[in-house]
Formats: sequence, structure tokens, C-alpha cells
Amino acid sequence: MARNEALYEAVLKGKRKDVAVLVQEDIDANVNVESILMDSMVPAMSEIGDRFSRNEAYVPEMLIAARAMQAGLDLLDPLLQEAGHEPIGKVAIGTVKGDLHDIGKNLVAMMLKGAGFEVMDLGVDCDVDKYKEAVEGGAQVILLSALLTTTMPYMKEVVSSLSGCGAKILIGGAPVTQDYANEIGADGYSDDANTAVKATKDALGIAA
Amino acid sequence: MKFKLISCEIFFREMEFLLEQSPHQIDVEFLQKGLHDIPTEEMLKRIQAQVDAASEQNYDTIILGYALCNNGLVGLKARNTKLILTRAHDCITLFFGSRQKYQDYFNAHPGTYFKTTGWIERDYVSEELKPLSIPNQMGMDQTYEELVEQYGEDNAEFLWEELCDTKKNYSQITFIEMGVEPDDRFETLSKQEAVERHWTYEKTAGNLTLIRRLLNGDWDNEDFLTVAPGSEVAASHNENIVKSVPSAGQA
Repeated sequence: MARNEALYEAVLKGKRKDVAVLVQEDIDANVNVESILMDSMVPAMSEIGDRFSRNEAYVPEMLIAARAMQAGLDLLDPLLQEAGHEPIGKVAIGTVKGDLHDIGKNLVAMMLKGAGFEVMDLGVDCDVDKYKEAVEGGAQVILLSALLTTTMPYMKEVVSSLSGCGAKILIGGAPVTQDYANEIGADGYSDDANTAVKATKDALGIAA
Repeated sequence: MKFKLISCEIFFREMEFLLEQSPHQIDVEFLQKGLHDIPTEEMLKRIQAQVDAASEQNYDTIILGYALCNNGLVGLKARNTKLILTRAHDCITLFFGSRQKYQDYFNAHPGTYFKTTGWIERDYVSEELKPLSIPNQMGMDQTYEELVEQYGEDNAEFLWEELCDTKKNYSQITFIEMGVEPDDRFETLSKQEAVERHWTYEKTAGNLTLIRRLLNGDWDNEDFLTVAPGSEVAASHNENIVKSVPSAGQA
């Protein structure tokens, strides 16, 4: 199926209302719902992410694109389910115990959704049990976020408690580094929302 | 002994008060609190420049009015003069007087925003640092009106909530009374802010012990890190918070 250029542009520019109208038009015209998602909307999110990585787009642009994407998803989701569409993977994300900061975590969650993942957002102040429940609920990748060096050490506890659970664990947030990921045995690290999507795909062996 | 103190201005009133009582001769350089709002490598560069300048002179020790500061001190190198750094994540430990006390308070009162004289008088970013500041680069420090102009009303409202309202998960202001306040204006301002935000307000007593020990040369390994010449500051990722490691690429 060809890309719906108007829809692609509307997601890219963060025009939520336009996205809803264009998606509805496509649905009404019996366009394949999976194609609406995968050929027009997901590529737009991938493009905004890449623009961000090239410093051509900034966090606000990424956020409004993700929100516009969500407006389309709200219409598509029930139809996708009916059509038996499977997300590219199931992941869970949450800010670690003691830490209530979620701007970055929310952005990563939105970008993952935008890439076609099913995302369980565990919120902030998540203890080990909360992550364990997510694994039991089918999460294949667990993403941990922390903004403070005070709360970052809890990541180590989560990683060791979840060791052997089968899910991959990725970490991120302002004070987090690749060295720290290596030190605590996390499966990966990323320092922004776009590379977080790539790291999640890598962890699951999904082609970029 | 002759010390050089390089300190964040957030401690200005506490340091001034305690410097008078120190048995040592201490030259002082206060740096902008705004260094915390710029990328860590930029913060480090500016503190390192002060350390390097002080190392050219005849000080017995350079003492740092800093903590790990979200890794802003990681990589700070001691040249030919040793450095002393308090084992703390951030300034709040120094205001509480012990990292355990801070941790206990932090655990018992999640979502607390701390206020001291410094956090009221000196919590701003200078024009010079603004272009570098992370909130500025991330578009977090825009006004609602600026967001509307750039992204339209519908998206502005969303961006405001999602990106600019950085204190949305906070629910309390705690004023740490250090005993260096000239009057009750700081407490009043803290209380007012709590009322305006519909948060709870608490006043707690601070403790000058750690800052006093820092200035008096009472540095044990339990509470202070010594960075010998040829070494640099690193994060230890455990209860010691900071450690000293040999500097790479330094003769």
C-alpha cells in the first residue's frame, strides 16, 4: 500500500485534528487499517525521531507528533484488534522507586508506541514488584528511567531481581551512562527517546 | 593552613557565616548556581577552570562547595593540589548535615521541593548561560504564550502539561532552616509558594555540621572524598556516592 502523504505530514507536523480526520477518511474508504498505521503513521514517527537525532527537530515537535499519532491510534486500535494485527513487541516502561520525574519517560513511551510497540506505562515510583508484574503480563522489554543520582542505584536492584526472567532490561535518564548499564548488567542503554526506540528494537532483534 | 574554597553560590549565606569561624585562611570563589542547568560537561569545564587556576597558587588544599551534582563533578581533576569533596548526591545533604538524614527525609517525603535562602535568592540562570541551559534547549522554559505562538492553542496546552510543568508530581515544599536567615522572609516566601501550588508545607531544621567540617579541615573518609593530585572524581554508584580514580591522560 502507498503512503498517505497528507496523513504522514499531519503526524509529522503534530496536527492532531487533521490526523483524526484523515484516518477516519481512510477507514471510511476501507483502506487496510494495518497499512494506515504501518505505511503512513509509523514512518512519520520514525522520521521525526531521526530529525531529532540530527538536531533538526526538538522535544516539543516530537511530543506533538506523538500526540497526533495517538489521535489516529485511538480510531485505529479497535479495528486493528479486529483485524488480528499484532504489535511489533510488548514493552513496559516506568520511572524507578523514589523518583517522580516522568517527562523523559513519557516521551520514550510515546515514541515506542509511535514505532508500533504495545507499551505498558507503569508510571513513576515503580518498585521491583511492579516491573515483575509487567514481565508476568508479557512485557518482552522493561525500560527503567531515573532523573536523579539518588534514585539511579535502584536500577541495580531491579536488574538483579529480574535476572533470568526472560525480559530484556534497558535503562536511561539524565545521570545514566553506558558504563553504568554495563556495571549493573542491564541489556542496554540509550540517552534519548529516539535511540531508546532503536535500542528496544535491537534488544528484540527487530530490524530498524 | 591556606585553603581555596570553590563553591556553588547556593551555599552563600551558610559559607559566609561559617568562614568567619574557620581556623584556616580561606580564599573563596563562588560560582553560579546556574551551572547546574547546563550540560554536565559544560559545568565540569567551568569548575575545572577554577580548580586549575587555584592550582597555580600556593594552597594546601582546594575544597569544593559541591556534591556529585547529577554527575556534574565527575571527571574533575586534581592537578598539583588535592581536592576535598563532600560525599553527597546534592546540596540538600549538606543542608541536612548528613546523607543518611537526607535519605530518610527523601524516603519519607517523596515529591518534596526543598527551599533554603540560596534556593530562593540564587535559583536562576544568567543570560550568559541561558543559551546552554538544558531546559532552554529542550523547550521547557517557554511561557504558555510562547508555546501558543509556536505550536497553536491545542498543542500548547498539551506541551505545557507534558513538558513545561516540571513540578507536576511534587506535592510539598520543605523549608530547611539553617540558622543563617536574617529574618523570616525566606520562610514566608516558601510558605506562600506552597499555598499557591496547593502543596503541603513543612519547616525542618537544617544542620551546619558538614559544611562546618568542610571549612574547618575536619575531613574523615566517611563523609569526605580526598582527590589526590593525578586523580579525578568519579561516581561510585553505592553509598559512598563518590570515589577517586586515576586521571586518564595526565602526566
